[in-house]
Amino acid sequence: MGKNVLLVDDSSTMRKIVGRSLRQAGLDFDNIFEAADGLEALDVLDKEQVDIVLSDINMPNMDGISFLREKQGRDAVKDIPVFMISTETGDDIIGEAKSLGALGAIKKPFTPDKVNEVLGPLM
Amino acid sequence: MDVGKAIVEATREVFSTMLMVELDAGTPIEGKGGDVDSNITSMLGLGKDIRGMLAVHCPAGVAKDITGTFLGMEVEEIDEDVKDAIGEIANMVAGNLKIAFAEVGKDIELAIPTSIVGSSFRTSGMFGAQRFAVPFTMDGAVFLIELKYMDTE
Repeated sequence: MGKNVLLVDDSSTMRKIVGRSLRQAGLDFDNIFEAADGLEALDVLDKEQVDIVLSDINMPNMDGISFLREKQGRDAVKDIPVFMISTETGDDIIGEAKSLGALGAIKKPFTPDKVNEVLGPLM
Repeated sequence: MDVGKAIVEATREVFSTMLMVELDAGTPIEGKGGDVDSNITSMLGLGKDIRGMLAVHCPAGVAKDITGTFLGMEVEEIDEDVKDAIGEIANMVAGNLKIAFAEVGKDIELAIPTSIVGSSFRTSGMFGAQRFAVPFTMDGAVFLIELKYMDTE
């Protein structure tokens, strides 16, 4: 059985581009779920089997850092790996994301090769 | 720091990486001038050490070209996809500028982009703000990246 990925970004354009980059990188996901903010992402995690999350940081309603914090408090989903995919690259904010369980970060703009380099080892 | 050069490099990296398009950059303008007839403007606020606004001003044709290239499909009107795509361009250019300013010790916080569609509006920044604008050409049409800011330190 293949894996399922959840893309969390308030930009629908960026969700489409990340999805396309996953396919171009040869990463074969069975399902690509989408959420526009952290709140929607938590809802998807409650309802669907998700194996990997790619999340933006700057989002309305619930940002990526708050999403990580909420997810950490939910036993059923806290171990699902998360990578941040964001224009935010500062050591402070990425460090905070990692302290809340994020495994790493991909900087926007990005190439499919970069996506493959980061996610490939998990597939 | 050469702010005009930083805008050129930040913008060209976004387009070459995400759209596979090598942009022609015009000469950076400091102060007034360089305005284009824009049908859509996406902007986002900057805070902390550098306070102000980054804006992408696009004629309709350029905005549709950028969105079509981004999404790999034909775009016929200025719709939600176009507003979202130009907003994301503003977001990524601002992210690259944040890195450039960090190299000279300036920490910038980025807001979430907002897009305005129309033909009779103008944006104005804070009184006394510095302004840099750079025209870029994509497939023969011009759009403008504009940075208005004040150094708060």
